[in-house]
Amino acid sequence: MFAWIEWIKTHLHWLVFLLLETASLVMLFRFNMYHHSVWNTQANAVAGKVLAWENELHSYLKMKELNGQLVRENLILMHNNRVMAEELESLKHDTTYVERLMAAQLDTLNHIPARVISNSVRMKDNLMTLDKGAADGVREEMGVVSGTGVVGIIYETSPHYSLVLPVLNSNSSISCRLRGTDFFGSLTWKGGSPLDAFLDGIPLHARFRVGDIVETSGHSSVFPPGIFVGKVSEVFSSQDGTSYELKVRLSVDMANLRDVIIIDNPDWQEIDTLQSRAMGGGLQ
Amino acid sequence: MIIEILKRIWQIFLLLVLQVFLMNHIHIMGYGSPLVCVALLLYFPVNANRVLTMLWAFLLGFLVDVFSSTPGLSAASMTLVAFLQPGWLRLWVPKDSPEDFLPDFRTMGRWNHLRYLTALLLLHHGVYYLLESFSFFNLTDLCMTAGISFGFSWLSIVVLELLRRGEKKHA
Repeated sequence: MFAWIEWIKTHLHWLVFLLLETASLVMLFRFNMYHHSVWNTQANAVAGKVLAWENELHSYLKMKELNGQLVRENLILMHNNRVMAEELESLKHDTTYVERLMAAQLDTLNHIPARVISNSVRMKDNLMTLDKGAADGVREEMGVVSGTGVVGIIYETSPHYSLVLPVLNSNSSISCRLRGTDFFGSLTWKGGSPLDAFLDGIPLHARFRVGDIVETSGHSSVFPPGIFVGKVSEVFSSQDGTSYELKVRLSVDMANLRDVIIIDNPDWQEIDTLQSRAMGGGLQ
Repeated sequence: MIIEILKRIWQIFLLLVLQVFLMNHIHIMGYGSPLVCVALLLYFPVNANRVLTMLWAFLLGFLVDVFSSTPGLSAASMTLVAFLQPGWLRLWVPKDSPEDFLPDFRTMGRWNHLRYLTALLLLHHGVYYLLESFSFFNLTDLCMTAGISFGFSWLSIVVLELLRRGEKKHA
């Protein structure tokens, strides 16, 4: 009778060890991109608050007002620039209905400025936390951009914080095209340098050069077309040899990011619902 | 007993602050941040309760995870190191030392202490980065990241130990 109590007493550390390891590994492997829970990440209220304080301190040292203002200004100018460029393009040849539609779409965009309160670039699945959440109108699947290009997609929101799935996450995939062409593929990250991502699925008959600009394609409902992503830095052929795989030098330095803009576009949301309804709702 | 617990909480707090607010912002050559939380295990005496050691290590690992969005990663590696630490420490304890022998630069000798510390750090980094890259095996990348991170963690922890020693001299 007492023998097994004795046994447990002498082997207690084994039991506790196995218990704690199991708990950790469950946390490690259960937290995947489909598991909607933020309590054990930076987006929970306590960690979010603490990291926001820390960030306050940092940005005070770095002139936070000025910084935010400049980025906002920059983004508005870039947006105007894009609209004007498109207008110019449409004046050069026949003004088509589609082009006018696109310009109209860009005008309907709502911008929610936000600040990065926590960020990582060294993991294989990096996540980023922003200081705006559901209460500020942020919803899942919204696009996040900075003054210099695409950052990622909102993955989870809590009332006052949100978690971003940045380009630097092995689960991230963003539909991109080569500027000036209609060749598009999906942009993924394979670890390693936080400045390089890969664009898959560009067909072999596509014509382009190293240094060509990669931008969002607008094929998904997350980003409007034409937002800068990066430049082609190297060209490989894909593993099955049926398409090109382009190494893209990202324009955003993810390791050094403070002010970002969340793109809210009610029309795109509507388009998304329409599309999924048309596809039977279960095809994604 | 209470003092012991307060001391541990203070150590955990300091290491957590150091890890989250300083080390997590350092990305050497684009990847690899120093991991200093494992230093906690250097402060346990040879007769420490193994179960409590593991619970403290798990707690710190879990807190670091919450603040770095790496659920379970630090917790798993810290627990494993805490489980193996007593056996490893026993190998380095001099024969005629007291029961509550606390490993230190002075009690252990500088070189023995460095060897003890290096092995714990190596184990922790090995486990941490293996778990992190579980589904994503790229050996050169893994070795680069773990190696760079290990080097800087080692430096930081040795500096920490030197600071601790300086403090004790003053006291």
